Amino acid sequence: MLNEMDFLKGGAMKKVVKIGMSLFAMTALWASGAQCAGGPEPAAQPKAKTIKELVARYDSSGCIECHEDAYDEWESSLHSRSVLGTPRTAPTIITAIDKGLKLFPHSGVKDDKDITVESLMFCAKCHLPQLDEATDDVAREIVSTIRAWQKAGRDGNEDLYDELEETIASLNIGCMVCHNKMAIIHKWTDGYPQPDTVYGSQDGDHDDEKFPKMATAPALGESIFCGQCHGLGPNFELDNPSQCATAYGSYLYAYVAHGGSDSCQECHMHKSGLGHDMQAYNDETMIKMAVDVKVEARSLFWRKNKAEGVIPKGIIKVDLYNKTGHVIPDG
Amino acid sequence: MPYPGRLGKGSEMGRGPYEKSGLLAETSLPPMKHVHETFEIPYPYKDGKKHRELINDELVVSVKLWYVPFGEMDGYEVLWFEEEKKIDLKTEWVWR
Repeated sequence: MLNEMDFLKGGAMKKVVKIGMSLFAMTALWASGAQCAGGPEPAAQPKAKTIKELVARYDSSGCIECHEDAYDEWESSLHSRSVLGTPRTAPTIITAIDKGLKLFPHSGVKDDKDITVESLMFCAKCHLPQLDEATDDVAREIVSTIRAWQKAGRDGNEDLYDELEETIASLNIGCMVCHNKMAIIHKWTDGYPQPDTVYGSQDGDHDDEKFPKMATAPALGESIFCGQCHGLGPNFELDNPSQCATAYGSYLYAYVAHGGSDSCQECHMHKSGLGHDMQAYNDETMIKMAVDVKVEARSLFWRKNKAEGVIPKGIIKVDLYNKTGHVIPDG
Repeated sequence: MPYPGRLGKGSEMGRGPYEKSGLLAETSLPPMKHVHETFEIPYPYKDGKKHRELINDELVVSVKLWYVPFGEMDGYEVLWFEEEKKIDLKTEWVWR
């Protein structure tokens, strides 16, 4: 029996090796024949001078005509209002300025007028990565708009509140943030995103005046793509590292390292059926996918000690199983 | 929940993203792992001379799992799970 097992194992190993070799060959062919997703680093565009200009540069409304479903899904997601948030993000940016930046002795920010793009990037790195294409005036305009929105809320000025909220919500992770600006991670290998190209899963012509080409972004469907923002922990590349998310770190070291293999996209987009409406803790579908809870309850008389005697009590046992690819909660 | 360090120094927890750095401790639910919690709830009782009488011999226990995104029940909490369990202890305990 043992010999037969060994023989079978040997055969299986040979097959694995053979399959491995052919995959290697396919990978090699793919690598050499892959479409050039990116290209040379494009010349920097002139900086956007106002919120309006920055929003126009990344306006997603041009995508609706052909990608209505994806647009509608995205519109329901927090990506479509990444600066406004739930709306807890915008006030947290203000807290980060008042309790962080202004109190840090070497930040160079003592007043809102001192705020620069660089100083705001500790939030904008993920909440508005395209801010690096704007002037410092835009950074200050964002802060003043959030403050005015908060004041309008306190003053009960509903019309102004709604108007400013709309402006803040227009600053978002729109289509072209993921499908162009952030689409290619390894730029020295795969090239820089080109200003006329929309990146996804296909190559060829794209029926759009502004983006007439489409190309494959090699990692767009991989977890590492989401990891650009849903991060590893402290953002060490910043002079003063900020930390919101640790989900990707948890995914790598607590999920994949223990045998997990689903990608972020598989759960949040495909298995959930939510597509571009990527949701998390406040979505019914994601909640069902997140944790299994089992409850067992019974009663007994606990013979505690001579002084207190026997205590009648209920014992409730709760078993929680996290089915996701990261800790819950993350942060 | 995660307990991020305040600016990565010492043993104080940081709250906002501008000061959170690293993790001091972690009590979140880890992926692909079972976490067990046990809750013990005494039945209400009164004592006689030689017996202990249950005031209520039935308990309805409500088990709720809340997601509390900002660490407090501040209106942003989301109820993830709820189940009621009815338990009873329908015998009188007599000292012997």
